[in-house]
Amino acid sequence: MSLLDIKNLTLEIDVRGGWIKALDKVNLVVNEGQIHALVGESGSGKSIIVKAIVGAIPDRWRITADRMTWRGQDLLTMSVSERRKIIRSDIAVVFQNPMGSLDPTATLGDQLIEIIPSKRIDVPWYKSGKKLRMKIAADLLHRVGIKDHEQCMNSYVHQIANDVCQKYMIAMALASEPKLIIADDPTRGMEITAKTQILKLLSRVNQVREVAVLFVSHDLLAISSMAHNMTVLYCGQTVESGRMSQLRKRALHPYTKALLDSAPSFRKDLPAKSPLASLGGTIPTLQNVPIGCRLGPRCPRARKECVKNPEPRRIHEHYYSCHFPLHWDKE
Amino acid sequence: MPQFNLYQEEFPPSPLQVTWQEFKLNHIAVIGLYCLIFFVVLAVLGPFLAPFDPLQQHIDSLLIPPSWEPSGGIVHLFGTDGLGRDILSRVIYGCRMTFGISILLVLLALLIGVALGAVAGMSRGLRSSFVNHLLDSLMAIPTLLIAIIIIAILGTGLVNSMWAITLALVPKFIHQTRDFVRNEVRKEYVMAAKLDGASKRQLFFNSILPNMGEMLVVQGTFALSIAILDISALGFLNLGAQAPTPELGAMLYKGIEVAYIAPWNIALPGAAIFLMIVSINLVGDGLRSALRSRLLHS
Amino acid sequence: MGNFVLRQFNLLVLTLFVLSLFSFSLAYLFPGDPLTNLTGIAGSEQADYQLLNDAFHMQGNVLQQYFYYLGALFKGDWGISFSSGLPLTNEISRTLAASIELSTYAFIFSFSLGIPLGFIAGLRHYKITDNVLLSVSVIGYSIPVFWLALIVILLFSLQLGWFPLSGRISLLFDVPLKTGFILFDILLSDLPDKQEAFYDALRHLILPTLSIAIVTTAIVLRITRRSVIETMNSEFIQAAYARGLTSRQVLQHHGIANALIPILPVLTMQFTTLLTNAMIVEIIFSWPGIGNWLIQAIYQRDYPAIRAGMLAVSSLVVILNMSINIAIRLIDPTRGRLEHATI
Repeated sequence: MSLLDIKNLTLEIDVRGGWIKALDKVNLVVNEGQIHALVGESGSGKSIIVKAIVGAIPDRWRITADRMTWRGQDLLTMSVSERRKIIRSDIAVVFQNPMGSLDPTATLGDQLIEIIPSKRIDVPWYKSGKKLRMKIAADLLHRVGIKDHEQCMNSYVHQIANDVCQKYMIAMALASEPKLIIADDPTRGMEITAKTQILKLLSRVNQVREVAVLFVSHDLLAISSMAHNMTVLYCGQTVESGRMSQLRKRALHPYTKALLDSAPSFRKDLPAKSPLASLGGTIPTLQNVPIGCRLGPRCPRARKECVKNPEPRRIHEHYYSCHFPLHWDKE
Repeated sequence: MPQFNLYQEEFPPSPLQVTWQEFKLNHIAVIGLYCLIFFVVLAVLGPFLAPFDPLQQHIDSLLIPPSWEPSGGIVHLFGTDGLGRDILSRVIYGCRMTFGISILLVLLALLIGVALGAVAGMSRGLRSSFVNHLLDSLMAIPTLLIAIIIIAILGTGLVNSMWAITLALVPKFIHQTRDFVRNEVRKEYVMAAKLDGASKRQLFFNSILPNMGEMLVVQGTFALSIAILDISALGFLNLGAQAPTPELGAMLYKGIEVAYIAPWNIALPGAAIFLMIVSINLVGDGLRSALRSRLLHS
Repeated sequence: MGNFVLRQFNLLVLTLFVLSLFSFSLAYLFPGDPLTNLTGIAGSEQADYQLLNDAFHMQGNVLQQYFYYLGALFKGDWGISFSSGLPLTNEISRTLAASIELSTYAFIFSFSLGIPLGFIAGLRHYKITDNVLLSVSVIGYSIPVFWLALIVILLFSLQLGWFPLSGRISLLFDVPLKTGFILFDILLSDLPDKQEAFYDALRHLILPTLSIAIVTTAIVLRITRRSVIETMNSEFIQAAYARGLTSRQVLQHHGIANALIPILPVLTMQFTTLLTNAMIVEIIFSWPGIGNWLIQAIYQRDYPAIRAGMLAVSSLVVILNMSINIAIRLIDPTRGRLEHATI
């Protein structure tokens, strides 16, 4: 059963001189207990999708979708407080910038304890349950690999290192025992050992507690081994989505292919000293995105029809939006 | 934005144009700007606009109320004061004097402050931190108190109060410039210029100063409102401009004597000061928020 | 932490040293003969002059004179006023207390009004409430305080007659001086009509307090509003919302502290603005405070009084500022941020 189901999500933001579609008909389905990777270059709108899911976008932006449901409940039409309640109990977010997303004036311990839902505190009404909360907090911290929980909980954000902080964020995400953890580029700017730890932690969480993870990143290498499904995003449009293995084996969209080719370790047949494949040009700014398929000007296979928006097509569980997909001519 | 663009070329507006566009969106600030322009015109063209000489005493028409009062006349639109001087003319001349002098003072203080602040900001080491910290703690003393002390030394009078206020404004500019320069020196573009072998002088004039303009304009507007307040306050305390001079603060002081029978004598000059400061503050606020939203949107 | 306090204390001593140096040199800076400036006795009366010359160590070099001056300051001998002939220490402590009393009430008033209004405006950013409050505050902090005071007097005491025109308390009451704060003095005294005296003093306080407080309230409102807007847009507040906390929880646990702590120094700095305004308003309301006293001293060229008054007010401001800095540092949990290097 799908936890999160988003169909044709469109988000318009106001900039000087008019409205711009930051997201253009994005589709995303996250299934229970799976790790779903959301991949795209920086500026492709990954973080905005996350914000749209948790409802942290400014009121003045226009958001429309054919469907945006959480386990069958429509997220867009419900009231803010209902939505917060759902997010509080079922969805947890690990943010891009852990230092920035923690309150600098409160101790880490206070913030973690605040997040533990009262349903987990099973004490008689005349007790505050502080001890139990502390115990749960310490437990959570041990689970994410922070040994010295007491010191950590008594310190402020600026006193701990970046990767410890990110682990702390994961602990906070686990505190409410969610069904889905959204990890928004959690390994950004970390060195490789810290990165591996965080990734392992997330995939262990997924395996042990059957929590679905929506992993947002631009780092294909890091997630290709752990993700079950993948959605590729380009410039606010969903380009292709499907099972990870299938995408890696037989990508249908030129952009996915280019993305995979750009990482040398995915190519076993790469001869020595040969140039790496990459798409010409750069990702366009939001103010002047091309009409139709936004990859158009950079696409090696672009033809006249590409100025029309391609409809998403489907082969089994594999969705793609391209007029002229790869491997198609042969079949 | 044009709907159809043949060429893939675009002309992004310059930062100055963007600031102006943002500023224009804020209607209240634009009204403030018009008010400010009005005062500038008044300051420049004052002698041509004023119906009477501000010092001329009309013996036969003492304390005539303004024309909107039942007993007021049309000859003296704003009425007359206890010596029969036309208040409209005095207010116009007063605006000219208070406003003109304040602009002069702010420019002078800005020049001195930026020069000293630049030296303080560019220099390093124990001595500079010593001077800087001392400056910070002395900054806590309000400008008016400094001005009063300086006047106590120099003696009362308009020119002396001008010096006093200039000296009192300088520390603020030093402080702002120093902080700004400190922050900029750490940035990469300055570092790049430094690595290219630019001297400290070149660093300041070619790299830092061009970026400082906006900060100075904003700070200048706030200093201007402080200068107007202080100059009229000193005039009001009878420490600044002396009696016959048509300075708004001094007029208020003289107005107190007849406040009960002729309240317009204090209401009108005060309102002129108030309007001047409001328009300056509105423009300053508008500029500040325009700059802020420019940074936010780009 | 101790390091910080020590540094601030060093700075305080240094600043006070500079101030004392300045006030010492004022005797030379004022027009005329330094000794005449200090004592009011002209050089013609030779015998007295010689005596005083000895008394003020005038024949010594400048350094000796300065040390003598410093010693006198510490002994509490700040000189004698020309005009009243009373020791300045008494006069200053009496007038300064009156000024501080006035400023403190205005300060409390403007904080208790300005900060909540600032929060309301900041939370209703770009809505009608915000716009109204912002416009009112622009007007509030643009009003010249002396004009406002005059208008207030014209309206409330002359036209409507609700409040007394000037002074601190009606002449009918004779309150013995104890703390210098009139409301406390009345409470401590054993006057037969204590309650009426208190009520009368309160009525005298309202207008001056109000005219000073309006400007500061507007400034406090604006500073708070800006900080609240910035805090509520910051990443960790968005993150707190995304964690599903309610608006109230977010504001209570994260918003208030983060919005107020960074602006506390700026807000408390407003006390000096307030004191300046109080000094002007005192003159209009004939409030027996330091501003009134200092201006009278300037009119009468009472140089020892100017010198001592200036030293007292500026030292007060500097000491106040420094202690506020230290206090804020103590309660600010993010204080270590600058001291610890982060990776």
